[in-house]
Parts: sequence; C-alpha cells; structure tokens
Amino acid sequence: MTLTPEPIAITGMTLSNALGGSCNEVRNALAGRESRLRPSPIEVPFETAVGAIDSDLPSLDGQLRPWSTRLTRIAAQLVGNLDAELGALRGRWRPDRIAVILGTSTAGAETTEAAFRHFLATDRLPADYDLWRQHTYGAVLHVMRELTGARGPGWVVSTACTSSAKPLATAQRLIGAGLIDAAIVGGIDTLCAMTLCGFNALGALSSKPCRPFSRARDGISIGEGGALLLLERGGEPIAWLEAVGESSDAYHISAPHPKGLGAQLAMQRALERARCGPADVDHINAHGTGTPLNDSAEANAISELFGEEVPVVSTKGYTGHTLGAAGATEAVLASFALTDGWIPASQGAEPVDDKIAINIATERISGKFRRVLSNSFAFGGNNVSVLLRAV
Amino acid sequence: MTASMEVRVAGMGLFMPDFPTAADWHAQRRSAEPQLPSGSRLDRRARGRSSVLTKALAEAYFEAADAASVELGEGSAVFGSALGEVGTMLGLLNQMWRDREEPSPMAFALSVHNAASGVVSIATKNRGFTTSLGADHDTPAMALMEAIGLIAERGEPVVVVCGEEPTPTALVPDDESWELAAMAIALAPTRGDNETDCVRLRGPFKASATLVGSDLRAAVARNPQVGLLDLICAVEAGRSGTIALDRGRGGGWCMEVLCPDG
Repeated sequence: MTLTPEPIAITGMTLSNALGGSCNEVRNALAGRESRLRPSPIEVPFETAVGAIDSDLPSLDGQLRPWSTRLTRIAAQLVGNLDAELGALRGRWRPDRIAVILGTSTAGAETTEAAFRHFLATDRLPADYDLWRQHTYGAVLHVMRELTGARGPGWVVSTACTSSAKPLATAQRLIGAGLIDAAIVGGIDTLCAMTLCGFNALGALSSKPCRPFSRARDGISIGEGGALLLLERGGEPIAWLEAVGESSDAYHISAPHPKGLGAQLAMQRALERARCGPADVDHINAHGTGTPLNDSAEANAISELFGEEVPVVSTKGYTGHTLGAAGATEAVLASFALTDGWIPASQGAEPVDDKIAINIATERISGKFRRVLSNSFAFGGNNVSVLLRAV
Repeated sequence: MTASMEVRVAGMGLFMPDFPTAADWHAQRRSAEPQLPSGSRLDRRARGRSSVLTKALAEAYFEAADAASVELGEGSAVFGSALGEVGTMLGLLNQMWRDREEPSPMAFALSVHNAASGVVSIATKNRGFTTSLGADHDTPAMALMEAIGLIAERGEPVVVVCGEEPTPTALVPDDESWELAAMAIALAPTRGDNETDCVRLRGPFKASATLVGSDLRAAVARNPQVGLLDLICAVEAGRSGTIALDRGRGGGWCMEVLCPDG
C-alpha cells in the first residue's frame, strides 16, 4: 500500500486575511512586521483584539446573489486572485477530474447569527435568508464550483482548527488513487460573535493581541480569512506538497494532551510518510495559538521530535487565529520560506517563555529553506502537520 | 465520470428512533416507543454532555465497527453530516441573544462539526485518522469518496458514519422537516479478483440509478443523509445495480452494488 505518497505539485496559491488580500500584500506586511490585530469590530461585552479583513470584497451578482455572504465573498476574492492559474488548470484537466475540497469551522454562522437576531426581534427570519444557500457547507461549495468551473467531487471538512489543513491530505490521497487529477483546496472562516463569546467563555481569549510562546501569553486572538492552493498531478510547481501527517489526541474534547502526544504523532507521521528525518526540516510554522496550555504542549512535542535548533514561528500574532482557515493559511505562509528564502519574526513572542525549550524566531531569518512543516491542532484532539518541499 | 475502485462491505450500523440498530431495521422490528440514543459506549462525562446527534452517530459507528471486527483503537473513521451540531449552535445563540447570558463553554466546545468524531476517538483511545465533513445532500457520497481514498492509500478498513439531527425548526420550513437518523457502513479492501462471498461496492460516480431507493416515511426520506440508508438497504436486499446516494437532491452521485448472487 502507498504509505509514501507521491509529492503533489502546488501550482497556485493565494490568501486573504487581516494582513492583506493577496500573497504580495501579506508578504509585505510580514516583512514589515506589521501585526494587524485590532479591537473587535463585532460588538461583544468584553475587550479583545481580532484580525479582520479590511480589503474590499467582491460582490456576488446575478444568479449567485442569493448565495452572497461574507464567507462566499471571501471565496470570490480568492478565486479572483487565481484567475490565470485556474485558467491553466482547466486547460490541463477535465472539469469532472477537478475536486473542490475546502475547510471551515464557521460556515455561514455569521449570517445565521444575524438571521437569528432578526428572528428574535420580529418573530420571523429575514425574507432573503436561506439556510441551504447561506449557512451550509454546500453553499460555499456551490459558489466555488460556479466560479472555478470545477465539477469533480466536492466537500467541506469541518474539524475545527484543522479544517483547512486536512483537505491537502485528502487531495494527495485522491490524486494518488487516480480518483481525480487536480484539486482546489483551502479554507475560509469569518468572524462572528458566537466564536468570540465561546472562546471567551472557555477562558481562552486574550484581551490584547495574542503573544504566542511569550512568557506574557494569555490567550488567543481570533481572526478571519481564507486561503486556496491548487494541487495537481503534474504542472509547474511553486512548491511540492510532500506529505501530511494526521492524528488524534484521544484525550479531551477542547484541551490538548499536556505533553503534545497527538501533535508529535502528526509531525512524526508526516516525516515518516515523506521518508525523511527531523534534521531535514528547516522551519516549522507552529499552530502557536497563544494560550499557555496549547503552546506548552506544542513546544514539548516539537522539542521531543526536533530538538531545539529548528526555527519555529507562530504567525497568529499577525493574522489572529483564523480557525477553520488557519491550516491552509499557514501552509501558504510557511511556503513563503521555500520561495522567498526568509521567515518572519514570531510576532509578540518576546520575552519567550523560559519553559519553551525550542528555537522561537524572534527576528526575521533569511536563508535557504528546503523543507517546512506547518502544524494545525483542533478541538476534538484533531492534529495535522503539512510537510512542504522547495522545487 | 470519476474513476473508481472496488471495496467490500464489512459491516453496517444504524440508529433511528424506531429502529435502534441495523439488526432491528433489517428485521423491521420497530421499537414500542421511539428511542433516544444512549451513547452507552461513550465515557460517562461525554455521554452526559453530548448531543443526540453525537450519540446517534456513535451508536451507528460502534455497531458497524463491531460487525466488521475493526480494531477500535486503530481504525479510521469518516463522519458526515450536512448541518452537524446545529441544535447546539442554536442553543448557544439562544443563550447569547435571547437570554443575554455567556454561552456555556462546554456547549461551545461540543458545537464543532467534529464533536462526534472527537468523542468517539476519546472513547476508543484511537490516535489514528478521523475526520468530519459535509456537502449537504451529497454528504454520504463524499464521505464514501473520502473513505475510498483512505482505503486506496492505507489498505485498511474505514468506517463511514453519516447522520442528521431532527430538523432545526427555527431554520427549516415544516414541509421540509426530517427525523433523526444515523447510518454507518464499514468498508474494507477487496481480498482479490475472485472474491464472491461478500457484497462489493464501486464508486461513487455520477450515473443513472438502476436500483430504486427504499420505501420510507417522508420524514425519514427527507433526512439529508438518507442516501446512506438507501445504500445499506440495497446491500441488505442483495441486489446488484446502481443506487443513488442523494435521492435526486444532490449532484447525482451513485454507488454500484455488486452482490454475490445479485
């Protein structure tokens, strides 16, 4: 059986988040060490900082108008960014051999929350609210299919904060099995009061911009955003998707295993599947949420497997935790090391917690990065590590 | 048409209020009173906190996994639902906006779509693969597709579980309402070209169905996951042919059923 999968070509990628609406805007913000975490624009009864998208989002017109939500408008922005690459993709593969596999944790919760508040005030849902067009996973799939022309299999993974990392593994499996030739993968999440209030109720939210791995860290900052990657059986790659490791903690529904056993297993599986060792990895984009427990568990897992040398960065101090979009977003951010030859400073990490025995990059580091690992860990004890390789 | 490979059916499971197990369904042995899923194989704390959907999915999962002799601590599982923990989400919205209270932290943690897969992995101490997905009425087809990719890659059994809570009445019109149902099917690699002692499946692919879905009450037939029940019924009936996985409300995905004597 295929335990060592063939590397898959990444032929296009884009993202949108608080740092900007394209790869170049995000790169520039990272280079300038600009955190964009700001006070929440969503009214909540406590103080917190969030990473909100500031760029203008395209509207969905014509036949797609009934599907128009903030989530699908971010989808439209991402598809627009990849116009040329998607055109080339469609030229290489039949539409029914192109899959759409996305991740989200919120789906249309922001729209449903607004509809629910309208319902409480008026005893009826808004006239234009439609659960199947504005809330469900099928809604964003429909929009993505219409905008991209993909007609192959399509689904949305929803495993909380690993939601958009898992589609990379699925696409590699389906391409490896000959079930598809190409896949549009990624994820999108939007801000909503329920998410902010829920994390606040769990005691996991910081009142200020998050500070992953810092001695002063006290919780996460929520962000919104999206990212897409085009994965193909062939083509001219920007980078290679080498392997993905997946595991479960089997420990607790919302807390990580204290020693990061499941996290370590996911990283180890990614390395085993790629037939490489810890020394072959030049950089890790950590899940690094900024909660005391999460960062300790992940640092322990990294330290056990990789030792203390490999430079580790959490980019959540720039973008916030984009939840269901984090896996794909951070895979794209990690790939910048492969293509651009530098990694950003881990924003907010100084002074690094003395108990974090790994190499947190507190300054930008330039160099040759051949292989990078991007971690995502989630409620339910769901863990994913994505291993990318330079061309 | 998407290329497809063959797998064999290794076990099935089910929970519906009138038929709490696949064996009850097969024998058409209706419960005297509608049942709620007990979640008896979950940890005590999880059982108390989990939703009806999570417990129904767990019941169906364990029945199929047991029937297939899947090693619970190691097997892979794919959970599917269109709306997932929508009842828990509505409860949170009620707390926040009707009652003006802070939402329950545990309800928030269990409102994620992967609540059932997480709770089951904890109960079985399984550090292996699990996922949760949705694709509206195509959820059963796409969960099967994910499972078949896993079998191709790993050569090991996968349990597919799909289910839906009763309709969220605040969000769905009465004439579209459905009842709770959860179904599971354990799939395994075929053992060779000449395998003739078990039911095999090929797909999913887009095609015209040659088999007709079961005759179900409307409230069951409207459940977005009913396609998996139709597949289970076709397997139980021992009839070869192509069965629709979406009752015409999705993208037209079907599965071919290959029975030894069908």
